[in-house]
Amino acid sequence: MSVTVPRGTLLVEAAKLVKVEVPVFCYHHKLDPVGACRLCLVEISPGPPKPTTACTTPAAEGMVVKTDTPLAVGARADILEYELVNHPLDCPVCDKGGECPLQDYTFRHGYPTSRIDAPRLHFKKPIPLSEKIALDRERCVLCYRCTRYYDEITWSQELTTDERGVHSYITSQFDQPLKSVFSGNIIDLCPVGALTSRVWRFESRPWDMDHVPSVCSRCAVGCNVTLWKRRHQLVRVTSHENDEIDEGWICDRGRFEYTHVNSPDRLKVPLVAGAEATWEAALTALLEGVQGRKLGIFLPQDITNEELFLLRRLVDGPWQDARVALERRTLLAPPQGETLPIKDLDGCKAIVVIACDTADDVPIVNLRVKKAVSKLGAKLLVVHPGHLDLDRWPDTFHVRPNPGETAEAVRRLIGHELLQEGPVGILYGDGHGAEDVDALTQAVVDLAEAVGGRVMPLYRATNERGALGVRLAGRQEDLEGCDAVILWGPGRPPASARFVAAWDSVPRPEHEGADVVLPSATFAETQGSYTNLEGRVQFLRPVLPVTPPLREGWDVLCELGQRLGMPDMDYLGIFHVQRQASRAVELFAPLADPPAPVPNPTPVLYGPARP
Amino acid sequence: MPDNVRPQSGDSRRDLRGSYGPARHHLLTSLFGIEGLHTLSVYRDRGGYSSLRKAMFEMAPEDITAEVKASGLRGRGGAGFPTGTKWGFIPKGVPGPKYVVVNGDEAEPGTTKDRYIMENSPHMLLEGILIACYAIGAHQAWIYLRGEYDGPFGMLMAAIAELRAEGILGDRPLERDYPLDIQIYRGHGAYICGEETALLESLEGKRAQPRARPPFPAVKGAWGRPTLINNVETLSNVPWIVAHGGAEYAKFGLGTAKGTRLVSVSGNVQNPGVFEIELGTSFREVIMEMAGGPPPGRRMKAFWPGGCSAPVLPEWGLDVSTDLDEVARAGSMAGSGGVIVMDDSHCMVRAARRLLQFYAHESCGKCTPCRVGGNWALRTYDRVLEGQGSEVELGTFDAIQESLQNGRCLCALGDSAGFVIASTMKHFRSEYEEHCLEHRCSVEEQVVAASA
Ligand SMILES: Cc1cc2nc3c(=O)[nH]c(=O)nc-3n(C[C@H](O)[C@H](O)[C@H](O)COP(=O)(O)O)c2cc1C
Ligand code: SF4
Ligand code: SF4
Ligand code: FES
Repeated sequence: MSVTVPRGTLLVEAAKLVKVEVPVFCYHHKLDPVGACRLCLVEISPGPPKPTTACTTPAAEGMVVKTDTPLAVGARADILEYELVNHPLDCPVCDKGGECPLQDYTFRHGYPTSRIDAPRLHFKKPIPLSEKIALDRERCVLCYRCTRYYDEITWSQELTTDERGVHSYITSQFDQPLKSVFSGNIIDLCPVGALTSRVWRFESRPWDMDHVPSVCSRCAVGCNVTLWKRRHQLVRVTSHENDEIDEGWICDRGRFEYTHVNSPDRLKVPLVAGAEATWEAALTALLEGVQGRKLGIFLPQDITNEELFLLRRLVDGPWQDARVALERRTLLAPPQGETLPIKDLDGCKAIVVIACDTADDVPIVNLRVKKAVSKLGAKLLVVHPGHLDLDRWPDTFHVRPNPGETAEAVRRLIGHELLQEGPVGILYGDGHGAEDVDALTQAVVDLAEAVGGRVMPLYRATNERGALGVRLAGRQEDLEGCDAVILWGPGRPPASARFVAAWDSVPRPEHEGADVVLPSATFAETQGSYTNLEGRVQFLRPVLPVTPPLREGWDVLCELGQRLGMPDMDYLGIFHVQRQASRAVELFAPLADPPAPVPNPTPVLYGPARP
Repeated sequence: MPDNVRPQSGDSRRDLRGSYGPARHHLLTSLFGIEGLHTLSVYRDRGGYSSLRKAMFEMAPEDITAEVKASGLRGRGGAGFPTGTKWGFIPKGVPGPKYVVVNGDEAEPGTTKDRYIMENSPHMLLEGILIACYAIGAHQAWIYLRGEYDGPFGMLMAAIAELRAEGILGDRPLERDYPLDIQIYRGHGAYICGEETALLESLEGKRAQPRARPPFPAVKGAWGRPTLINNVETLSNVPWIVAHGGAEYAKFGLGTAKGTRLVSVSGNVQNPGVFEIELGTSFREVIMEMAGGPPPGRRMKAFWPGGCSAPVLPEWGLDVSTDLDEVARAGSMAGSGGVIVMDDSHCMVRAARRLLQFYAHESCGKCTPCRVGGNWALRTYDRVLEGQGSEVELGTFDAIQESLQNGRCLCALGDSAGFVIASTMKHFRSEYEEHCLEHRCSVEEQVVAASA
């Protein structure tokens, strides 16, 4: 078989193109190759008469690569045997069992019989690395993916190796719990069951789950995720690599903040004055409660585009004077003109990050900035009053203006020597309320014009772009003075509220004593879509069914509309809503073309859970 | 290692040439033993730093590299790579810094020659370093010094201080606008720190673990910059080569291995020590004459010709010459020049086990075969020596040695562990069979019988 690949393509990647499996442990396509595990040995000619690591060798013109010579086959089998010399035989209770490269490679490339005759070496196990992650050192194959990920990708030195030789083990720095918001990715990276999620530990076997690709609901970046369910429970969230956005990483919020979906406290039935009621009765009580009052509506950050569109219709019609607030929103205005897509950060020669702690507000954009800087050589400038993790790069140029003076500091960057070479990417947040956002935005636009850069406003709330697109993104303060409120998600009722309707998936202290309580569906159940911070519309795929009496938000809004005298709110289904929204709102145009339903999931064969 | 094989210890600042020298071929050591040679004034009186002056004022950098190429000098650190060729790999005309890193980790068992040089004539090394800096266009050199070497550390520090005071190190060395500086970095105390890429990691303050090559240090070395790494002895030859010319140096030695080298002879010999020999001298001369051969009544059994990382040779190896290629043809390596001798009181299985213990302990743990294989082999040796061996163990040894060699590991430490098993099995298979199949040790029986 022959294949032509771009210059610099490594042999492991070239082999994938001709569907030849070269097994790997230490190699990972997002990490720098190190050639540590020696599993990927192949023979090349012309070349020395000894095996070569396919993960560190780029393909060359006319190179012949042999993966099935006795030498290469034996070399791989030897490594697999070695990995098993001290490996515990706890596969039957290991979370990785079933999606474990060590199992699968041993099956496909290992020796049929075992020669292992020595007693196994032992480590204390499992070790909690943090609240969320457990480490089993006996299962570890020391591929160093986890430590390299921490060094290369997150720029934090929380994970390292101690001791040497066969006694080497992975450990957190000074045995302190991992603090990074990016810690969970090491679970996906680990090619064995050495790093497991304590949230998911011993919950289910991989083959026992169904999974669908979906979108994370926790912030405006819109990372792609895989939702895993077992027996009507959402049991795991993993990354679903999308190179245009997340490159296979998700933050710990996206990975671990899902347990409320399975909470025994889940609200399932509407309540009126604390007593269970039908939807009919509850919606009647709600409409009566808001009738003739000054209405305020609080929206959850992960409200879908479809729900926004329907709500916009209500606010344009019967609820004309209602005020609307959006959870976690920034003060940024909708962008004017073209913005910088996340993936284009890769091509930037210089990146300016302004008034935003990206690690907290837009975590995966933070990783992309780090990659552009440390792997692709972009210059990094930061304008922020505090100390940020971006300062770990020794060459970061950091300006620390006093709060409120960021706009001037941005203007002073015009003509800066690090901004001489483009393309320049300018990322800006709202300074968490400390800045005059209009002045800041103007300064950013002026800087962009002066240096020929493109801007990326860093919205915070999951669907802030969508809400801005239909002008439904007020702030919690805007609800002051309203005497009837609908609190969808974690909003607080203002002091002026006489009537409170709470609409949420679980009870919350803020919602204590609400007159009407409506149960809501979560990101794992609802159909719909989000618009991420770059304006990209992405579709959710429900992994769990909506079991009556639970109803999806869009469906409830449709009924409210009809009851309020809008007969055309009688949509035939979400597709119908999407079609209309795509015509009515420019930002929602992609809703006209929802993706086909997922085909039957393919079984996970090997590699990190990335079907 | 058994008790009677002990590397030479104590003050090496003495004339070890004994009755054998000084001789025509003593290029490195001709001045050793002169009172006060370690001071700048005595070294200069004897012509020191004239080579540096010649290099900086009379030669272009390319000319120096050309002379080193012409000399046929090959690295004395272990791999024996042609030094001039290595210098030629350093890219020219690239912006930004380049470095010279001196490998003074000298952790190879049985090797003490770098210490011998540093304690006798630290300035000879420093002069070689500065010439190398000038030749490749570097302004900064690091000496990565074995952590345990307190003596050499003190002497090098004193010597560097003298150079600073005299303005030979600094912004304008010898009044020329070519800043030069040398820093000493004390090693992290593991054998692997001497492997060149692990050394660079260690120098950068990280865990000493080898890097995959390519990229080679000449392209991407310390802190990602082009870096020349040479052994202490290699660079110490440079002043002589610059003074007398490469062609003159090439008159010593034979074949592709030119010049002289220091061999450190240790183990069962009556006169252990460091000797400067002309390459091509036979091991018989080195071991039996210079080092005095085994103690009376004992018979030479085996020796490691280039530190314990080179495959062992049995008695017939005495007729092999020290020429690098000839040692290679005999199935071993000239390595670091550390000659470890064992007489007939040694069981080779036990010796191999002791060396394996060293390699298993010093494995950095980065690559799988060395990390797991070394330890597995060690445990297998333990079982065999406890009398629990069988045919299976013979097979295990064979499988492990194969999986450690020939590019299977990331660095040569793993290969060396494989050499230990493979070479002792090749030359002393009967002893393995005795242990594994008959659960006895004829060497031990003989020793016991002799002492009874
Ligand atoms: C495990 C290992 C240990 C080594 N230790 C040393 C050492 O202590 N000193 C040394 O000069 N070279 C050592 N080397 C060889 C170096 O990697 C390198 O080849 C040498 O420093 C190059 O210098 P040269 O070309 O002048 O010989 C070692 C190599 C290996 C694989
Ligand atoms: S814990 Fe997992 S990812 Fe980390 S080194 Fe071990 S096997 Fe590799
Ligand atoms: S061969 Fe041994 S010492 Fe060398 S990289 Fe591999 S584990 Fe480390
Ligand atoms: S995958 Fe190539 S050495 Fe690990």
